[in-house]
Amino acid sequence: MMDVFNSFYGLIPVTIAQSLIVSFVVLGVMLPFRILNFPDLTSEGAFPLGGCVCGTLIAAGVNPFLACLVALVCGFAAGCTTAFIHLRFKINTLLAGILVMTMLYSINLRIMGRTNIPLFTYDTIFTLLAGSAANQASVKIIIVGFLILLVVAAMLYFFMSEKGTSMRAVGASPDMAEAQGINVGTATILGVGAASALSATGGSIMVQTQGFADVNMGFGILINGLAALIIGEAITGRQTILRQVLAPVVGSLVYYQLISFCLTLGLAPADLKFATGAFVLLMLALPNLRSAGGGVQIREKVRE
Amino acid sequence: MTKDMLSVAGGTKIFYRGTQDERRALDGLNIALKPADFCIVIGSNGAGKSSFLNAVSGKLPLDSGRISIDGQDVTKLNAHRRAQFIARVFQDPMIGTAPTMTIGENMLLAELRGQPRGFRYGLTAARRAKYSDQLAELNLGLEKRLDMPVGLLSGGQRQSLSLVMAVSTRPKLLLLDEHTAALDPRTAKLVMDTTVRAVEALQLTTLMVTHNMEHAIKYGNKIVMMDAGKVLVEIGQEEKRGITVSDLIDRFHTKSDAIALQGS
Repeated sequence: MMDVFNSFYGLIPVTIAQSLIVSFVVLGVMLPFRILNFPDLTSEGAFPLGGCVCGTLIAAGVNPFLACLVALVCGFAAGCTTAFIHLRFKINTLLAGILVMTMLYSINLRIMGRTNIPLFTYDTIFTLLAGSAANQASVKIIIVGFLILLVVAAMLYFFMSEKGTSMRAVGASPDMAEAQGINVGTATILGVGAASALSATGGSIMVQTQGFADVNMGFGILINGLAALIIGEAITGRQTILRQVLAPVVGSLVYYQLISFCLTLGLAPADLKFATGAFVLLMLALPNLRSAGGGVQIREKVRE
Repeated sequence: MTKDMLSVAGGTKIFYRGTQDERRALDGLNIALKPADFCIVIGSNGAGKSSFLNAVSGKLPLDSGRISIDGQDVTKLNAHRRAQFIARVFQDPMIGTAPTMTIGENMLLAELRGQPRGFRYGLTAARRAKYSDQLAELNLGLEKRLDMPVGLLSGGQRQSLSLVMAVSTRPKLLLLDEHTAALDPRTAKLVMDTTVRAVEALQLTTLMVTHNMEHAIKYGNKIVMMDAGKVLVEIGQEEKRGITVSDLIDRFHTKSDAIALQGS
C-alpha cells in the first residue's frame, strides 16, 4: 500500500503541470457551455489542431512563441466556423461542432503531412525560457501556471467590462440581449472562436511538453474537460463570475490528481474513458434523480 | 404640425406566402404617432398586434412598407440596430431580463442600449450609485440588491426592473407588449402605475398592447383597434373621453364580425 502512495506522491508535480496545460481546454469548454449557452464540441478538434500547427511550425524552424500564436489564431478560426455554421444554416450547435471537428482531422493530417512529428530536438517555449531546466516539472508548472494566471485574470476583467457583460447577456437571454442592441451573432462567433483559441493554445503547449505532435492527440479531451469543469464548479460554485472563471482551473487540478490516484491504485488505463464518461453522466443525471424523489426545486423556493 | 415620432406606412408581412397556409399577419398597416403619444393597441387574438410590435422592433422584417422613427427610415435596420431608438418590455418577465446576471449588470446592459460598448470596466461605483437612485423610485428595495441575480426576483419585481431598464435611457419609442398580463392583479396594478408615471414624467412616445379594455380606456391618449393585420378603428384623444368599456366592445364586435363576414 505504501508503494502506491509513494508512486502517487511522485507523480503529483507532473500531474499538476499536465492539468495546468489542460486548464486551457477546460476554460475553452466552460466559455461556450456556461457563458454563451452554446454546447460546443469544437475543442475536441481545436486541441489537436493547435498541437499540429505548433508542432509543424516548430519543426520547420519557426520561433516557438510565434508558433503558439499561429496555433491560437487557427483555433479561433475553427471556433468561428462552428458558430457561423450554426447561425447561418441553423444547424444544431452539437452537430456543427462534430462537423468541424471531423473535418479538422483531415486538415490536421494535411498540415503535418504525417501522423506524428517528434519535437525533442527542437527549441520550445520552455527551453527558450528555462534552458536546460526545461524538463523539470516545477519549471513547467511555473511557466504554464503564469500563463494560466494571465488568461484567468484577462477573462475575469473582460467579463466584467462593458463588452464582456454584453457577451454574457447573449448566453443568459438572447432575446433580451438583442433588445438591448447587442449583436447576438457577432458575440456568439467571437465567443466560440475565443474558446477554441484557448483549446488550441492548450494543444500547442501540450506538444511542447510531451515532445511530439500527434494527429490523434486529445482524443476524448472534451469529456475530460467537461468532467474537470463539473468538479471545479462543485468546488467553487457558479454564483459569481470569479467563481465561474476559477472553476475550470481548480477542476482541472483536482480531476487529474484523481485520475492519477485511480491509475496508481490499479485502474486499467483502458477503462479510463468509460470511468470518465460514467462520471460525467452521473453528474449530469444527478439533478433529475433528485427531483424524481419529490424534492422541491431550489429555484421555486427562493422566489418571493 | 410636429414631426411623427413613429410612422408605419403600408406595413405588410405575409407568412407562408403562396401556400395553403398563407396568412397575412400585417396587411397594409398604417399608423403614425406624434411625440409623447401614448397609444394603446387592442384587438382579438391573431389581429396582428404582436406582429405589429415585432415589425416595429425589427424582430420581424416587413415584406413591404416603410417604418420610420423620428424621421429616420429604419425599415432596413435589424433589431439590435433599432435598439438605439427603442426600448421594449415583454409579456414574459423571464425574457426582458438576463436571469443569471445581477440587477446591476442588467441595468448596465440597458444603459448601454444602442451605444458602443468598450473594454472599460462595467459596473463602476458611479454607475452603481446611479442605478441605486433609479431603482429606489420603485420602492421595492431593489436598490439594495444590485449584486443579486435577477433570477431570484419575483415576476413582478423582474417586470418592474424591466420597466426601469426600458425607461431609464429615455428611448424615442417605448414598446409594452402586454407587460402586465402575466402578473397577479395587485402586482399588475403596481407595474402599470409605475409605467404611467414614467411615461408621463419622461414624455415617452409609447405603444402599449393590452387585452385589458379598462386599461385601454383609462390610460393613454389614443386607442388603435387592430383586425386582420390592419388598423380597424383609431380613437383619438377627444373621442376617447367618456368612452366606456361596453362602447369599446360594441365597436369591436360589429366591425370585427363584419370583416369576418366579408372575408368568408
